[in-house]
Amino acid sequence: MVSATALRRLGGLQLALVSLVILAPVAWMVLSSFKPSAEVTAYPPTLWFTPTLDNYRQLFSSTPFARYTLNSLVVAAGSTLIGLGFGVPAAFAVSWRRMMWPALVTLAARMAPGTLYLLPWYLMFRWLGLIGSYWALILTHAAITLPIVIWVLLPFFDAVPHSVLESAQVDGCSVPRTLWRIALPLVVPGLVVSAILAFIFSWNYFLFALVLSNSDTKTLIAASFNFIGEGATYWGALMAAATLIALPPLLLAFAVQRRLVAGLAVGAVKG
Amino acid sequence: MKLWLTALALAAALGSAHAQDFNWRKDAGTTITFLSSNHPWANSVLKYKDEFTKLTGITVKVDTYQEQQMRQRLMTVMNANSDEVDLFMSLPSREGAQFAKAGWYANLEPFITKDVSKDYDFGDFSKGLVAAETHGSLVSGIPLNIEGPVLYYRKDIFKKCGVTPPKSLDDLLSVAKKIKACDPSITPFVSRGLKGALPYTFSVFLHNMGGSYMTAQRKSDLCSAAGKAALTLYATLLRDYGPPGVVNYNFYQISSLYRDGKAAMAFESSNELKSVMEGGARLNDTGVMLLPPGPGGSHPTVIGWGISVSAHSKHKEAAWYFVQWATSPAMQARLALMGIAPPRASVANDPSYRKWIDAEPVRREWIDAIDQANATGTSEVGYPIVANIASRDYIGQAVDDLLLGQKPVQQACAEADRELDALIAKD
Amino acid sequence: MSTTAGPSGSLTALALPAVVFTLLMIAFPFAYTLWLSFQSYTLGSSEHFAGAGNYLQLLNDPLFWNGIRITLVLYVLSLGLQLGLGTYIAVLLHGSKRFADVLRSLLISPFVLPPVVVGMMWLVILDPAIGAANWILQIAGLPRSDWLASPRWVIPTVALIDSWQWTPFVALIVLGGLQSLPPSVYEAAQIDGASRTGTFWRVTFPLLLPSIVTAAVLRSVDLLRFFDIIYITTQGGPNDASNTLNIYGFRQGFEFFNIGYASAIMITLSTIVLGAVLAMSYARRRAQW
Repeated sequence: MVSATALRRLGGLQLALVSLVILAPVAWMVLSSFKPSAEVTAYPPTLWFTPTLDNYRQLFSSTPFARYTLNSLVVAAGSTLIGLGFGVPAAFAVSWRRMMWPALVTLAARMAPGTLYLLPWYLMFRWLGLIGSYWALILTHAAITLPIVIWVLLPFFDAVPHSVLESAQVDGCSVPRTLWRIALPLVVPGLVVSAILAFIFSWNYFLFALVLSNSDTKTLIAASFNFIGEGATYWGALMAAATLIALPPLLLAFAVQRRLVAGLAVGAVKG
Repeated sequence: MKLWLTALALAAALGSAHAQDFNWRKDAGTTITFLSSNHPWANSVLKYKDEFTKLTGITVKVDTYQEQQMRQRLMTVMNANSDEVDLFMSLPSREGAQFAKAGWYANLEPFITKDVSKDYDFGDFSKGLVAAETHGSLVSGIPLNIEGPVLYYRKDIFKKCGVTPPKSLDDLLSVAKKIKACDPSITPFVSRGLKGALPYTFSVFLHNMGGSYMTAQRKSDLCSAAGKAALTLYATLLRDYGPPGVVNYNFYQISSLYRDGKAAMAFESSNELKSVMEGGARLNDTGVMLLPPGPGGSHPTVIGWGISVSAHSKHKEAAWYFVQWATSPAMQARLALMGIAPPRASVANDPSYRKWIDAEPVRREWIDAIDQANATGTSEVGYPIVANIASRDYIGQAVDDLLLGQKPVQQACAEADRELDALIAKD
Repeated sequence: MSTTAGPSGSLTALALPAVVFTLLMIAFPFAYTLWLSFQSYTLGSSEHFAGAGNYLQLLNDPLFWNGIRITLVLYVLSLGLQLGLGTYIAVLLHGSKRFADVLRSLLISPFVLPPVVVGMMWLVILDPAIGAANWILQIAGLPRSDWLASPRWVIPTVALIDSWQWTPFVALIVLGGLQSLPPSVYEAAQIDGASRTGTFWRVTFPLLLPSIVTAAVLRSVDLLRFFDIIYITTQGGPNDASNTLNIYGFRQGFEFFNIGYASAIMITLSTIVLGAVLAMSYARRRAQW
């Protein structure tokens, strides 16, 4: 097998190319955010330049960035907690009882275009008196995070041997107690992955926040549309905003990358 | 009680009750919400909002979106008859008739006549802009600026290439041609190519060619000789002399391109002056003029944004106080110095404003163009029907069909006319 | 593993909150939109019952069919790219121990980025006048492209953007499938002297199919409702060339205020997605054994 080494080298080369394609656009965005405004639109593009923080300065002086970040954090954290609160017991029950319908029902929310929900949800939250509060956003985002939590956790619960659960039953453990004391400690990696994914997808979602939030609760993502608006015609500042918004999900994902990848893999095999 | 009667008698005697009785602090303690567009006017006036709170005791919450997202949010809020928004910005030339029929605007007429400070002077506003805000007995909003598309051009490039500012629409094309030959690195001409946005700039081409959107018999008329000529000229200018990808261009790409020195001519809103001049690179080499006249004469477009009170607001009076404060002669005089062309005659003649204008030659040309537009212009952008917004899409479609070379002009205009006739019939 | 299903009553009770919450959130929106879809309701004109009027109008609306066509083209292009490239990358990764660690962290980055950021980023890169994409084409001696501003290329370009973001996701799922295959499968094949490609198609691929179908189902739900990237970059343009069904419905409702008609489009789209998902989960069950 002479060609095996050659083949491996070829594979390595191709993987390097894949890495480049993934990395280059993000690197370009970050690079552009440090360019002086005149150079962002230069053609051909400049690769060597004196980096500046002007774009970031302009961004922070023109928008209450910290406030929007806080709003995004509250909404993403709140909807992740609700997603976990409802999703963990559901995933446990679905896995143990082998009944898929609860998992499918929670997925139904994802079948319709997000735009379908805008008008009716506004009406609903108005009746509930929740317009203008974080709750409107937290609950709508929970509709997104809930199926993520359930579907990511399912294979982890599936991997828990039923004999363990049954012996707990025999010992007189109630079902909620079995979940809490026996099963949960065994699926901690799954909990971490589902919580992180739920948080990220809530953080990233913009459509609901565009119409359901107000000046007090507007999320960073919804506010970012303003950067393309009148008076804000600076690509550099736009790239700076994009870079900052992308940072939290990227950092979170990197922090748990090993588990995240393993979690996706488990889901694929069992799901 | 006695005091009140005395006041009433006194007021009656003076004959102008409101002016004497007017009390800015009547709604102190109220909080109102303003749904605003990310527009130079809003960004400027809102810098002073603390002064309003100090004057009236009313707190203003501001919810700012880009224009398109603002309308999406407004639509959601108003569909629920919600009082969440008390005030909003609106473009009467675009959505006025539709929003008025939907009952979204509170009628400001009673406030203007009865609940107004004595220095307000409603009669001072541009007549055309007030007319655009009037729907029968409904006054839907107060004009907050005046704007229209103007031609920004680079004097230095013109000089280098030996061309003079175009005197006619034909001339515009030959100037673009000469610049392209003289300096291939520069974009000769740029304007809006984005379907829904381009009727604002295209309308001037149509009107100057001698065309109009509708015939007297309420038939769509894009296939008239003038209509076809306007479509062809506009599309040719953008296709052959515009930047690559111009079909997606809206005001911000245009301002950005021109500001960075990459375009010789930009036909864009007068409102973009501030944006174009940011950084100061274009301050000394830019001239401003109206689009040159065509076979049909000169019919510049002139419109204004307005600020309206929501029909569902629970604090209409407090909201009106903000409108009044924000569009008062004193405030508009201050905003004028920040490049917001004032919709009031008195402000236009204000000495400090004139001084500001005289400080830079380009401002002189800029305000002359706006004044001329105000005196002779039309506010017709798209079809004068309730479904004006939808009509703009068909106009844009016809232009882009040509711009992209997808259809010959006869087919493009005929298809648009057919769709537009159906739209008019539903009006 | 035992097959007993546990204490059914209390387990159903545990699943109930999630189900009730979801139903509370979606029941009214669906009912409301369904009701609106039978109304003639355009802002500024009187609202009245229209029966199936909106749906009949859909059948004669060239833009509706345009939307269906664009949605399907975009769907097939994107899904094909993502499944094909994703599987390929997964196989490459599986064969290379050295790169696996570095690449794993790279592979998760695109799909955790907010769509808004992805849209803005590509908008700058693909700008026909100043973008880096055309610069690279120029260096390579290729003609420049108008990318998102070209009616011909806009859909392939959007498919490329989406595939940039989601191919790595597919690759990770398929990689998971690969890693769960027992090594004995390969050894047996290699002793047989089968070629590498032969082994892949005859042995590995059929075993991977469930993972690939899982990835396909997950991507289908998003691709059929394609919205985010187009909303941020082209809004359906140039001239309706990227006007997917979802974008079309959105613009009818929120730009032209034809609320009844927009509702009919959204209901139709939801039905299409639901149908596709049901069909695929059926196929998935068949593919498994």
